Amino acid sequence: MSFVEIISELVLMPLIAFVVGLMMVLMMRKISARLQRRIGPPFFQPIYDIVKLYGKDTQVSHGLIHDIGIVMAVGGYIGAEILLPVPGMEGIADKGGIITLSYFLMIPSLGMALGVGQCANPNGSIGISRALTAMLAYDIPFIIVVFGAAWHYESTSLIGMIEYQQANAWGIIEMPFLAIAGLFALQGMLGKQPFEIYIAPAEIATGPMVEMSGKYMGGLFVMQTFQLYTAGVLYASLFLGGGESWLDLLPKAFLVVAIPMSIAFLFPRYKTEDLIRILWKWPVMLALIGLAFIL
Amino acid sequence: MNLLDQFFVIVAVALISIAMLRNIKVNSIVSTLWYVLMVVMLARMSSVAYNADTITSAFSIELLGFRMYWKFTALSWFFSIITVVSALASSLFMSGDWGKQYRQQGGNYGLLQLALILNVVSMLILLASGDLLSLFIGWEFVSWASFLMMVLMPSKTAKKAAVKYVIYAIVGAMALLAALAMVYASSGSLDFTQITDAFIQMTDNMKFGFVLLFFIGFAIKMGLLPFHLWQAVAYAETPGPGAAFLGAISSRMGLFTILVVIVQFIGLGNLEEMNIALPYLNMKSLLAWIAALTTIIPTYIALQQHDAKRLLAWHGVGQGGYMLLGIMMYDSIGSAGGLMHVLNHASYQAALFLTVVAVVYRTGTSDLNKLGGLVTQMPLTFLVMLIGIIGLAGLPPMNGFVSKWMVYRSLLVNGEPLLFVAAVLGTLGTILSVYKLIHNTFLGQLRVEHQQVREVPWSMMVPMLGLSVIVFITGFMPGLILPWIASIQETIGLPVVTYHLGGIEYAKGGLDMIWVSGILFYGFGVGALIFYFLGGKAKRIHQYDNYAGGHFLSSEVKYHYSNNFYPGLMHLIGNWYRGSFKWMENVIVSALSFVSKLFENMYRSRQPVMLLVLVAVVALFSIYKNYSGAGS
Amino acid sequence: MMKKELKIKSNKTNQQKQKRTNPLANVFDDFIDFCQSKSLFMLHYCTGCGAIELPPAMTSRFDMERLGIQPMVTPRQADILLVTGYVSVKTLKRVILTYEQMQAPKYVIGICSCTVNGGMYWQSYATAKKLNEYMPVDVYIAGCMPRPEAVLEGLNRLKNNIKNDRKEQKGSAWKDYYKNYDYYLGNQQNLFGKEWQTPVDVIAEAKLYGLEGEGTYGENTKKLKMVQHPLLPQEMKL
Repeated sequence: MSFVEIISELVLMPLIAFVVGLMMVLMMRKISARLQRRIGPPFFQPIYDIVKLYGKDTQVSHGLIHDIGIVMAVGGYIGAEILLPVPGMEGIADKGGIITLSYFLMIPSLGMALGVGQCANPNGSIGISRALTAMLAYDIPFIIVVFGAAWHYESTSLIGMIEYQQANAWGIIEMPFLAIAGLFALQGMLGKQPFEIYIAPAEIATGPMVEMSGKYMGGLFVMQTFQLYTAGVLYASLFLGGGESWLDLLPKAFLVVAIPMSIAFLFPRYKTEDLIRILWKWPVMLALIGLAFIL
Repeated sequence: MNLLDQFFVIVAVALISIAMLRNIKVNSIVSTLWYVLMVVMLARMSSVAYNADTITSAFSIELLGFRMYWKFTALSWFFSIITVVSALASSLFMSGDWGKQYRQQGGNYGLLQLALILNVVSMLILLASGDLLSLFIGWEFVSWASFLMMVLMPSKTAKKAAVKYVIYAIVGAMALLAALAMVYASSGSLDFTQITDAFIQMTDNMKFGFVLLFFIGFAIKMGLLPFHLWQAVAYAETPGPGAAFLGAISSRMGLFTILVVIVQFIGLGNLEEMNIALPYLNMKSLLAWIAALTTIIPTYIALQQHDAKRLLAWHGVGQGGYMLLGIMMYDSIGSAGGLMHVLNHASYQAALFLTVVAVVYRTGTSDLNKLGGLVTQMPLTFLVMLIGIIGLAGLPPMNGFVSKWMVYRSLLVNGEPLLFVAAVLGTLGTILSVYKLIHNTFLGQLRVEHQQVREVPWSMMVPMLGLSVIVFITGFMPGLILPWIASIQETIGLPVVTYHLGGIEYAKGGLDMIWVSGILFYGFGVGALIFYFLGGKAKRIHQYDNYAGGHFLSSEVKYHYSNNFYPGLMHLIGNWYRGSFKWMENVIVSALSFVSKLFENMYRSRQPVMLLVLVAVVALFSIYKNYSGAGS
Repeated sequence: MMKKELKIKSNKTNQQKQKRTNPLANVFDDFIDFCQSKSLFMLHYCTGCGAIELPPAMTSRFDMERLGIQPMVTPRQADILLVTGYVSVKTLKRVILTYEQMQAPKYVIGICSCTVNGGMYWQSYATAKKLNEYMPVDVYIAGCMPRPEAVLEGLNRLKNNIKNDRKEQKGSAWKDYYKNYDYYLGNQQNLFGKEWQTPVDVIAEAKLYGLEGEGTYGENTKKLKMVQHPLLPQEMKL
């Protein structure tokens, strides 16, 4: 890889992720609107929100760690996008692989948790406690799925996985159980209903976001765009054969994100313990069955 | 005199000088200098670590026809450098204001320094052992030296824990002695190489007994399941830096002996051939499962703790599982990960213990429900703890991630899904509990009584910062450590890992930490640019200016969330903490005390005649049995 | 009389407003104003019966989200404070705290007649009559209760105000709270007594962001200084 290529990828990969993520946010809001028979937000609404939040005249900070938390939350995702190969750009995907990526994705959460912690608001701390518990719940099926995929493709590098699928068959055909379990885990990972107990606006005042104003909230909005993008592209790379071109990849990624969204707005939320119970029962069971088939 | 002899002379002189010096100030400076000198000596011996050489000491003892001798291999060197550096950090930490406070509170500072050097010396003797007899002697030294460290705290729990430890240690020593006897019986010598010969000649059943005896002996020291109960309390209830030292390295002596005896001389290949039940369960996979359960159960016990030291000590028990798990995978990256985790764990565990001790130094408590919001008061300590918990949780870019990554990668390659899930479950539990640790100590609302708290003095700050630099550098460039690991693997007969400065080369997915950390920091940089340049100015506000649903906050209102931090999770898994192991321990203890009472009463009973009759009857019966057996 | 006073004051602020010379900066400011008008997070402080008109305004019949308006939960996140009904003295303290915790630009909408002049609680001893004596109100939506159409109409008016903020100098009622803090504080003190204070330090905020005006300091802020327990941010100390 030449120097210019690396630099351009370092800039382009997060940028594309951001733009695609914005459209995914729009899609999410449109889906929720349509399911509730509303019109929904205008096309540029996600941009308006983010620009407005960054353009706030005043904003409050509870201290340095509050700031650093937001920097880590956004920065961790920017780093993660470079580990996620997309058509034409491999970034540094071969230096880390899927294990590194899945650990990278915990850094934004850790950053946010630190920032929220310094806000000294118990609502926020309760939110983080629930979010971490939810992470413990959805990561178990997710990690079995990752194991199954890595074992099946005989590689931990996402590039290798995509190559295998494009040469042979898509993962979802060869490992349907694991793919379903992965989708289940995705729902938890995106923190959508019925697994959004850690946001719980009416109960703990949006949990982690409680003290976030202006650019702090804006940072979390940016983080959400990355989160959706990562979830969509990662799942597409694991099970839907990645993409040979952007025209191939983007519909898949949008489809992947649309599924949890369509489910989400039809459900209320589970309590924390029920959330763990359900995520440790059904997706884990499915994933283990899937694993038994491929081992 | 070769380098090793010089090294041991220095160690002996250090021991004597620290024991003799009565002046506190001189003592603390001198002891720190001795540790520095030891590090220098080890650095001079580094050819052992890079070229897999062996240095044999000229000194040896003939005892009852056995020749005891000492030598340094790459493995001994690796464990020694960790030991000495942890001791250096602890000694430096206690040499300044901490020691002053310790003496004011009635502690015996000289004795603490003596206990530390005794621990170091005994560990070095064990690590340098050249045959089974010197190993056993070193083993006993280590046990009693740790005991000395543990009884320094005046509290009742500390004494109780120390006594419990000694009982466990004696059981372990008995098991080890029995295994030694088996080696001696079969070969008449106590050379390490005799283990291999003795093992090959044994019948299958004897093999199980042999391996289990060794394993029980070593597992007790390392706190592996089901012998994990003694360790956490005993380590936590040790005077500050002592806890850091013990937590960092002491229990890894068990791992060292496992590596020498079970991995090097019995051989993992031989263990693999010892079928237990199904084709899937052999001795090696049994040990791997013990390791995996050791990562899970103590980690989730740690999650329940509300005392910072105990929480860390329980994690120390849990992380031991990763080391053994990696080694039991019997391949290049798995064992490299397991070995590397020894160093990584020692570095962040020592740093974390020291931060907790620093917090105790300033606030007087390590109870996580009585702290909070200290980040503004002790920012550097917070930074060290942050680096430490990222390491302990195994997130990039710290060193804990590298070793855990290698263990995971090896589990993936070997197709061990359940062990993999177990390892990840341990990591996730760790993330939960370390966040609780840092949140309840440093984040959240600052308590009124802690508003005057200040950062700890530099004598305490320097070792903490030094350790956190190690945590970061070895994570950023694992290639600095990997040559040592490779020579260890060569020495003890494991497949050797291929490495470069940034990490591991491996077909189909390696790891390059320089790139990974670089990208992470690039991300943080861009994040900071976005944050500081695209957004407006932010106003720093006081914690009482906070959202409380319209409520007015003031110093009278406690607005902090710490007690029972994970209620949802505990509601679900709380029932699983049945304490079955404690129950088992209690059963064994009461059974033993019952038997001992019985015998005591027999001896004391007023009817010696009856006793005589009983003995006579038993003797007659056995003679009869013997003869009738021979007759037919 | 109040209204007049307000207008005069806001005209003053217009003249003080610094003109940006860089044409690009003007475009940039306009863009931010445009986004601000297009994206409004509202915090509904449901004090009275007016709150019942908000669900229809938000849900499928009228769908506020198509105007870029969505509900938020805490004052930190919100742009609009909707006060939907009568404000008792006790509630008013919370409303003021909530308002002060919101981040500028922030807008207040008084819904129902009660916020305009006390409405049917005119004779009540425990109700604050005019909301804009205690905080600058951008838009009043009168009615008992106003229908969702009226609510949307009011929100649209607010959006137009914001869009033309810098051009026509209409929208920035929130600046008035900083520039005439003494006036609002005086009214608050009259109602709540001399000890009145919130954890939010409005004066320090005005200083930091250069929002001080002639009316920021006065008799009442002096009184506040006497009783205030200042809450300085906790600094990191080495």
